[in-house]
Amino acid sequence: MLWWCAAQTAAWDWSWRAYPGVWLFLLACIGAYALIGRGRARRTGQRVRVGYAIVAFLLMWSALDWPLGTLGGGYLASLHAVQFLFLAMIAPPLLLLALPRVPESGSPPAIARLLLFGAVVFATHLPAISDALMRSQPGAFLVDILWIGGGLLYWAPVVQPEGQGSMSPILRMGYLFALMVLMTGPGALITFADVPLFAVYELAPRVNGFPALSDQRLAGVLMKVGGAVIIWTAISILFYRWHREENRLLQAEIRDMAARSVSTADHL
Amino acid sequence: VESTQDRARRTGWRGVLLETPVPVPAVTLTDMRGQPFHLASETAGSLTLLFFGYTNCPDICPVHLSNLAAVLPRFPWDVRSRIRVVFVTVDPERDTPERMRTWLERFGPGFTGLLAAPETVDRLQQQMGLPPAVVQERRSGGAYDVGHAAAVLAITPDGLVRVSYPFGTRQADWLHDLPRLLRTFSD
Repeated sequence: MLWWCAAQTAAWDWSWRAYPGVWLFLLACIGAYALIGRGRARRTGQRVRVGYAIVAFLLMWSALDWPLGTLGGGYLASLHAVQFLFLAMIAPPLLLLALPRVPESGSPPAIARLLLFGAVVFATHLPAISDALMRSQPGAFLVDILWIGGGLLYWAPVVQPEGQGSMSPILRMGYLFALMVLMTGPGALITFADVPLFAVYELAPRVNGFPALSDQRLAGVLMKVGGAVIIWTAISILFYRWHREENRLLQAEIRDMAARSVSTADHL
Repeated sequence: VESTQDRARRTGWRGVLLETPVPVPAVTLTDMRGQPFHLASETAGSLTLLFFGYTNCPDICPVHLSNLAAVLPRFPWDVRSRIRVVFVTVDPERDTPERMRTWLERFGPGFTGLLAAPETVDRLQQQMGLPPAVVQERRSGGAYDVGHAAAVLAITPDGLVRVSYPFGTRQADWLHDLPRLLRTFSD
C-alpha cells in the first residue's frame, strides 16, 4: 500500500489511487488549526480567516493527493512545479492569514528566513537531491514538508500585522522581490537546460507522449512565471495597502492643519 | 550495481561494454513493408541501436524510444545519417506491420520495425546475450504484457555488438556515447 506520492514505474492511467498518509497529514493539519483557533470563534474577521484556511487546505490536498500528487510526484516535472507553487507559495501565506494574529518574538530575522527558504527551493530542485528524494515515499514526504515548512517560515514576515518589530511595507516588498531573484536561478536552470535534468521524470512512463525535455521546460516556465505572478500579486497588495495608509495619514494631517489654521484665525 | 557515472569514469563509456563483442548473427527478419531484412548486411557501416520490445509496452519501450527520438535530431547530419534505430517486436501476435509503423512514427521518422517468428527472435536474442521474452498471464479481456530485455544493443559500423544500454540510460548518455561509438568503431 502506498501512503505518499512518489516516483513509480507503472504506466500512468487515470485509475484512482489511495494515499492514506496524505489524508492523515491533512487531518493533523486541520486538527492543529482548529486547536490554535479554539475559543476565538467570535472574533472579528474570523469568517474570512476560516475562508483562508479552507482554501489553503484544499490547495494542499489537491497538491498532495491523486491525481496531481501522483502525476507531480513521479510522472511530470511540470506538475511537480505546480505542486511547489501550491505548497510553498500559495498555501503558506493563506494558512498564516488564517491563524490568529499574534506578535512574534524571538523568531528568526527576515534575512535568515529568506536564505533558509531559498536554500530549500534550491536544494529540492537540484537534480541529484531531487532524484534521490523523489524515488522513495519518505523522501517525497520530506520534500513536501520542506516546501510547506519553508513557505510558512518565509511568508510569516510578509503577512505579519504591522507593529513593533514588523518590517515596513517597503522592506516587505523588497523581501518579496529578493525571493523572485533567488528563484531565477533554479527556474533558469530548469528552463534552459538542453537535456532532461531529473532522472525521475525523464525515465518515467510518458503521459500522453509528452516529451521529457518539453515537460521540464514547461516546469521551469511555470516555476518562474507562476512564482512571479504570486510575488507581484503580494507586492501589489502591500503597495496598495501602504498607499492607502499613507493617503489616510496625509488626509488626517491636512484635516488637522486646516482645523488648526481655522482655530488660529478665530483667535486672531 | 555500478552507476552510469562510475562506469563512465572507469571505461569512458556510459553504456556497458560487452567483454567479448558479438558478431551480428546472419538472420533475416521482415520489415514493416513486408520486405526481407538481412540484419548483418543492412546494419553494416552504420551504428545500429537494436531493441527488442512491443508496441503495447506501457513503460520501458516508449521511454527508450522517446529518449532516442529526442537526441537523434540534435546530432549533425553526418552523425545522424549513420545512426539507425531498429525495433524487433517480441509480440508478433499483436504487432502487425501496420501497427508497428503507426506506433514508431509517433516517435519520429526513420525508426525501422522488424518482425520474425518467435523462435527466430528468441534465438537472435540468445545469440546476442539477451534473455528471451516471456508472455505474461492474460488479464480479463485478453490483454497481456510481455516481459522482455530492457537493454538497447549498439551494433557498431564494423558489425559487432559492442555496448549494451540498460533501462535508465538517459538522453545525456546517448549524446555522450553515440558520436564516440561512430568515431571509434568505424571501418
